[in-house]
Amino acid sequence: MTDNLTPDQNSAILDRMLLIRRFEEMLIDLAGDHNFGHYHLYIGEEATGATVVESLTETDLLLTTWRNHGHLLARGGDPGRMVAEILGRVDGYNKGRGGTLHLTVRDVGFLSTSGLVGGAVGLAAGAGFALKQAGEDNICVVFFGDGAMEEGVVFEAMNLASLWSLPVLFVCENNNSGAISAQEGGFPSSEIAASRISDIPKSLNIKSELVDGADVVAVHAVIAEAVGGMRKGSGPAFIETYTERWPGSRPLWPTQATGVTQLAAAWDPSLITGVYADWIDEYDPLLRFIRNQLDTGLLSQDKLLERDAQICSQITKARAFGEASALPCPESALDGVFAA
Amino acid sequence: MPPDSQQTDRNLTLKDAVLEAMFEEMESDQNVILIGEDVGTAGGVFKQTKGLFKTFGADRVIDTPISESAIFGLAVGAAMAGSRPIIEVMFGDFLTLVMDQLVNQAAKVHYMSAGGFNVPLVLRTGIGVGGNLGPQHSQSLHGWLAHIPGLKVVMPSSASDAKGLFKAAVRDNNPVIFMEDRMTYNLKEQVPEDEHVIPLGSAEVKREGADVSIYAVTRSVHTALAAAEHLQVKNVSAEVVDLRTLAPLDVETIVASVQKTGRALVLDGGYQSFGITSEIAATIGELAFDYLDAPVMRLAAPDVPVPFSPALETMTVPNAEQVVAKVTEMYGGLG
Amino acid sequence: MLTKDKLLELYRGMVTIRAFEEEVRKMHNAGLAPGLVHLYSGQEAVAVGTCTALNSDDYIASHHRGHGHCIAKGSELDRLFAEIIGRRSGYGMGRGGSMHIYDPATFNLGTNGIVGGSVPLATGAALLAKLRGTGQVAVSFFGDGVLNQGILFESLNMAALWSLPVVFICENNGYGEFTEIDDVTAGRPYAKRGEAFDIPSEKTDGMDVLAVHETVSKAVTRARNGDGPSFLIFDTYRYSGHHVGDKQEYKDDEERELWLSRDPIPKLSEMLVAEKKIKQAALDELDAEIKATVIVAANQAKKMPEPDADDLTRHIYAA
Repeated sequence: MTDNLTPDQNSAILDRMLLIRRFEEMLIDLAGDHNFGHYHLYIGEEATGATVVESLTETDLLLTTWRNHGHLLARGGDPGRMVAEILGRVDGYNKGRGGTLHLTVRDVGFLSTSGLVGGAVGLAAGAGFALKQAGEDNICVVFFGDGAMEEGVVFEAMNLASLWSLPVLFVCENNNSGAISAQEGGFPSSEIAASRISDIPKSLNIKSELVDGADVVAVHAVIAEAVGGMRKGSGPAFIETYTERWPGSRPLWPTQATGVTQLAAAWDPSLITGVYADWIDEYDPLLRFIRNQLDTGLLSQDKLLERDAQICSQITKARAFGEASALPCPESALDGVFAA
Repeated sequence: MPPDSQQTDRNLTLKDAVLEAMFEEMESDQNVILIGEDVGTAGGVFKQTKGLFKTFGADRVIDTPISESAIFGLAVGAAMAGSRPIIEVMFGDFLTLVMDQLVNQAAKVHYMSAGGFNVPLVLRTGIGVGGNLGPQHSQSLHGWLAHIPGLKVVMPSSASDAKGLFKAAVRDNNPVIFMEDRMTYNLKEQVPEDEHVIPLGSAEVKREGADVSIYAVTRSVHTALAAAEHLQVKNVSAEVVDLRTLAPLDVETIVASVQKTGRALVLDGGYQSFGITSEIAATIGELAFDYLDAPVMRLAAPDVPVPFSPALETMTVPNAEQVVAKVTEMYGGLG
Repeated sequence: MLTKDKLLELYRGMVTIRAFEEEVRKMHNAGLAPGLVHLYSGQEAVAVGTCTALNSDDYIASHHRGHGHCIAKGSELDRLFAEIIGRRSGYGMGRGGSMHIYDPATFNLGTNGIVGGSVPLATGAALLAKLRGTGQVAVSFFGDGVLNQGILFESLNMAALWSLPVVFICENNGYGEFTEIDDVTAGRPYAKRGEAFDIPSEKTDGMDVLAVHETVSKAVTRARNGDGPSFLIFDTYRYSGHHVGDKQEYKDDEERELWLSRDPIPKLSEMLVAEKKIKQAALDELDAEIKATVIVAANQAKKMPEPDADDLTRHIYAA
């Protein structure tokens, strides 16, 4: 049983993917002008984040890991306030205290971003527990990577979610580069003995699905079904999305490996050049979805480029907002250790 | 010397000095192995283990999954069976994940087994504020660990000490936690080429002085030295004592210094309350009370999580100006 | 099929443990064994069936219900008793007690007070054995409660990843303290936790010492041949509750009766009499002999001195 996406939904998803792509590209540029520490980009994984949120309601809760910009933007995080936080400014969502590693947006239901691998998963089980107690049909989504599947706390959290039938949607975004990371200097590496990651939640009787994380339609179908069941009390679900890791995320520090995305590459292959042409041509989820939407006839090239221009403008303004925001006053470092 | 090192002189960074020590110890003792996340093929997230994999291979330099608890527990078991592992925990903040195996197993095995088993391992980790890494990647939890009977805690402040102490740590037959403040990684100094081993449990006076003793470890030692320069201008001669090992503490050197100067300031990068400054201040109060001309003072990081924003982060690192201010307070004002 | 001598060795092992635990119970009730003791009575087939499949230099790591493992691996009874009652000549000079008994001479990495705490220790010993090519194997004993511990999961992953010579043995006695394990463990069958990592996993009747011995032997051979870990689950039962003094109100009589009827010791003795032409009288004599030996060891331990004040601060560090 699949839920087909309506034209409005497709449009919203495309907008989110564009927003995420342009935001992340802007960050690489921003990193050239400011030092804001280590950061992680969602380029290449947009289809997952942009689509998962379609199945969520306003009162559902979310948690994520440090590859979080895509999730936060998809869910409605304000790009300007996100830039401010990434730069450690006072108008940032965490008032500069968290930076990208801990960026979270409470108003749209994010409980936290964990700086530690797998750290949010335990919290998610707790959120699911609270939601179940509350008795509405809300769910909690937690995003994490394939590396998190090596952490014991993830196993413990899944066991509890399964045991108590908690409404937790575990979304494992598997972007493991496999052989590439095994090379000298390759980073990071993923080392799990399970031949299929989803065998692990299955051993705990958690419904598990595997889906191409770059395929909007497939992701939506799987997520919608899982969430639908969860709202009726069927317990947790584990969705493993796999993507071909974006080349810019392969080294320790992000690089603009594939160049600023030219949307016209979706219909003009001559624009696809460079060492990573294969990735752009075959794997880029944004271009894939654009081609898909153009094929349906519901989107025109002109409209697409117009929306892109609007989004780019939005990003430019967001960057300016972030950069104009002041650094917090130093004395404020001592505030807020405890709640009142 | 790492075989592919570019160094031709002996002016090494602290990071490279420790790497050199690792090479030497792994070469001379087949039992020494290195385990950790991304320490092998990637050469370490800060390139701190670069070249080891190439030289010693996958049997002695082991890349692990992200499973800190079990990695460390596994190292404890291997140590009990005769290995001498070095375990890298990527960030000192992640010690929270190894605490059970560290505190309940490694620290206590020798005692519980009445000498039947010992656990000769080195847990190496980077600590400290800097680089805007945020609250979960900036902590200095050495106070926690020094509190546990059975653990040794070593914190070098400079390249030469780092090499000598690391070699001693590897040769020690107990669990030793070797912590480097990341801000000291690139500090350079001349490092002896010979068999340079510094015994654990020995503090060192890094700058002699007559008027006030400033006790510190790792990065704080440099803060103290900078403050000492400022104080000299005000005609206050500060003695800087680099503790080097927290557990076991070199009480003799600590006391000898304050017996000479009559004033003591304990400086640290960890959270102030219930931290190492408290331990040293209390020790001085108990053993050198009659020599004191002023109360023992402490200066450490405020009791707040380390915030990310650069403007806020600096608030959590005691600086030389603050040290000077504290010493001034001790004197009731300085000209 | 095992030889008569081997079968008698299995019998002796189980009877020794049963007698030992009875003495421990008495010592506890007499106020001699302070703190908590967790008796292994009922689970003997697992310890004995396993350790008799090992070489003397194979490692074991145990848990809080570990006297049986220590005995099966060859620790001296009087020194075991001494440790349990806190005397100076105990394996830990009285520092550890029942839950922290380490015996390097028998390659025993210790009983352990932390649930799951010893699992990575065994895994680490196996890692070292593999790196050195010694051919040694390590056995990790743990209870059903550990099925929900993250550290088991992490250890299984690494053991499988690196093909380590470790045999993971879960003694499923149905209870984590006072809670039925089925109530707190998601996922059936439990073997799937090992299968998820492509580790050969199986469940066996833990009350049948011969079945245990055979299953473990195969796993040990696999490990020694370089084929990596196994994940074994043995269904068993603890007759004395979680600890001495546990009133066991959470169990019903029907259940208890059922498991008593499966007692591994009479199960073996009946088989020895029926199939191996061993006379019951001979077995009775053996029982008496073993019981006497155990009592002698217990009495010896009771006479041993307690540690003195100087012993408190020794052995914090190795020299």
